[in-house]
Amino acid sequence: MAPPMGYLSNLGFGAEVIYSFVIIVCSLIVYFETKELYELSSHKGIKYFRQAFLFFAIAYFFRSFIKFMLDYFNIRRILDFAPMMFGPLSLFLFMYFSSMAVFYLTYSLMWKKWNNNSKKIYLFHAIALIISIVSIFLINPFVYFGLNIFLLIFVVIIFYISHQDQKKRKRKNNLYAIYALLFIFWILNVIDILIPDFIQNIQLFIYLVSSGIFLMILYKVLKKTGSN
Amino acid sequence: MKKRGKLEIIRDILSVIKEDSNLIKPTPLLRKSNISSMRFKEYFSELLEKKFIRESTNKRGEKFISLTDKGFKFLERYKTIISFIEEFEL
Repeated sequence: MAPPMGYLSNLGFGAEVIYSFVIIVCSLIVYFETKELYELSSHKGIKYFRQAFLFFAIAYFFRSFIKFMLDYFNIRRILDFAPMMFGPLSLFLFMYFSSMAVFYLTYSLMWKKWNNNSKKIYLFHAIALIISIVSIFLINPFVYFGLNIFLLIFVVIIFYISHQDQKKRKRKNNLYAIYALLFIFWILNVIDILIPDFIQNIQLFIYLVSSGIFLMILYKVLKKTGSN
Repeated sequence: MKKRGKLEIIRDILSVIKEDSNLIKPTPLLRKSNISSMRFKEYFSELLEKKFIRESTNKRGEKFISLTDKGFKFLERYKTIISFIEEFEL
């Protein structure tokens, strides 16, 4: 039996494609635009910053893939899509790459304060793996909320510490406001995948703000790397 | 006096070579770089490994150090690198 083709006439899916395209392209431009700076400096902060955006691009790819599957096969949750473990596998990869993107970005801010201990990144990989496994085995909205609240609290604490240091140095920078918005809207994106009905009414708003945040970061990167 | 960071030290070493008509002997380079000989050796090996500098020997067997294209590129992009690191608090 042919799959339902309703997605072709679905405006929502068109918005999904454009949204994913904007975020993936922005993230990849950030990644490739900073390649030369990293190759010349071998600076670890630049390395983790680039990794974060590479992982954002991969995570958003899996996110759009999951959205496509939901729409194309007319299913409510990706875990309901069983053939060859396709559903659970794509959710696992999405959760892993999205958690690591957030961890890499926080690590890019904190690596100096953590005495350049690169072993901490393995701890983040382990936490991201645990989050991904829990997401596919414990199918419960409360667990999903719990995971995301844990991620949010973790990131807020790290940011608060880093922001206090910035204040001590009396440097004015709107970076923390941008990152705070990025994480809040990132978590809303994750909840949108895990609990599809939860934020349906404000989906367009979330897409617009998320795209705006990535475009703002891209603009800052291009301005600083001296690209047109 | 503020302690120099790693990138700043690399910039200083490469600048010394560039300002010396891009050809300098190891001893004056060590002296002008203003770091201990131990640290100089570490930086020197790293710069050779990363192909920022190259060593050459003349007919009399004297060693000279000069910048590679990558070394010039580093000097050219140094301010951008620092500005990027500061902007994103890296």
